[in-house]
Amino acid sequence: MSDVLSDDGGSEVNQDDSREDVMTPAELIAKLEEAWLNEKFSPDLLENKSEVVECVMEQLTHMEDNLQRVKKGDAKAGIHRMEIDRIRFVLSSYLRSRLQKIEKFFPHVLEREKSRGEGDPSLLSPEEFAFAREYYAMTETYLKAVALKRMPPNLQTVDMLKAVPEPCLDSFVFLRVKERQENILVEPETDDQREYVVDLEEGSQHLMRYRTIAPLVSSGAVQLI
Amino acid sequence: MDPSEVEFLAEKEVVKIIPNFSLDKVYLIGGDLGPFNPGLPVGCPRVAGSEPKTETEVSGLFLLHGWMLVSTVHADKLEEMRDLERKEDAFTPVPSPYYMELTKLLLNYASDNIPKADEIRTLVKDIWDTRVAKLRLSADSFISQMEAHAKLDNLTLMEINTIRSFLLDSLNCMYKLRSNLQPGSSKGQFTGLLIHKNLGRLGFGLPHGPFVTQKTFLGD
Repeated sequence: MSDVLSDDGGSEVNQDDSREDVMTPAELIAKLEEAWLNEKFSPDLLENKSEVVECVMEQLTHMEDNLQRVKKGDAKAGIHRMEIDRIRFVLSSYLRSRLQKIEKFFPHVLEREKSRGEGDPSLLSPEEFAFAREYYAMTETYLKAVALKRMPPNLQTVDMLKAVPEPCLDSFVFLRVKERQENILVEPETDDQREYVVDLEEGSQHLMRYRTIAPLVSSGAVQLI
Repeated sequence: MDPSEVEFLAEKEVVKIIPNFSLDKVYLIGGDLGPFNPGLPVGCPRVAGSEPKTETEVSGLFLLHGWMLVSTVHADKLEEMRDLERKEDAFTPVPSPYYMELTKLLLNYASDNIPKADEIRTLVKDIWDTRVAKLRLSADSFISQMEAHAKLDNLTLMEINTIRSFLLDSLNCMYKLRSNLQPGSSKGQFTGLLIHKNLGRLGFGLPHGPFVTQKTFLGD
């Protein structure tokens, strides 16, 4: 049994060496947790991290295959199973919070996806895109069947973009700074206050509007908490 | 965020243990664990011993009872911290970003193995109370001065979590109320019900809690 799991540790390292983007499994898990927290706390849908998700899935299936071969009641297997459960929880919580946001903002998400340029990274994974489109179509059909077709003809169309509220980018978020940033402009709350700039020191924590730091979240310079 | 999710994150924190069993190195996806030798201290994530389930699922149970935990924080050090926390206006650094959760997890599962467990529990609770009182007061002044930015160094995730939804929702609603006042603004689209609910919440129990002992401000 110990051979099975030790082998596994070795093969993971080899696998990583052959990849272009070298990342240890531990770093991969850290990346996933980062993405999870960011997605949880940001008011808007963030860029999809399908690469990370795929790699983590791969690791999990790999480890589960190994565990299949282990006899029951082994102490080590229990630890491994616990780790798998924890990672699976983070992964599904991450995907779930993305789906919730898609359901909440679907017309805007699709609109952003449509207006995105050729080379820009996609906001949604292919599966999420299909989900959003289907959700859109179903909501529309439902609205039509339940209410719209009984309306006078001139009121039978509905603009989804206007009907569904936009994500509120002005909400406040808590964040921790990972790379030092200078001259972040803080907009005033009221008209009689003046705008001012702050420097974000590495490791410090702040409370401010999401709009101001949204680019820093996607670049990974700050972490939402 | 649910408090149990904060605890979930805290379970990753490495604590030092002295095992009374031996086990080879375990190669986990998130890094290696062990090897464990009886009597030799070793660092290990808190999680590995936190969930004893059934007799057959040995590992959790086995590890939990097999471990003799070494508390890294000592009672006198904590006392110093508590006094400093009471003296300072700003938040002082804490022993661990998950100090409250770790204390709870460790003391609940292994209080027999930690010397002065009760004393530690009281001290940590004191520190927590002082800090949360400061936090409430800061949140109050943050709102009343209509600030747009605050620095919150040394604040832990659990502490932020205690006020997160309340503070953020209030701030958002106040923002919408204010932008509604400005002519030509299209941002304020929400119902009277929401306004009503929020005003009710704003006046509720923020500044004058029983813990408030001193005037403080967020960060510096």
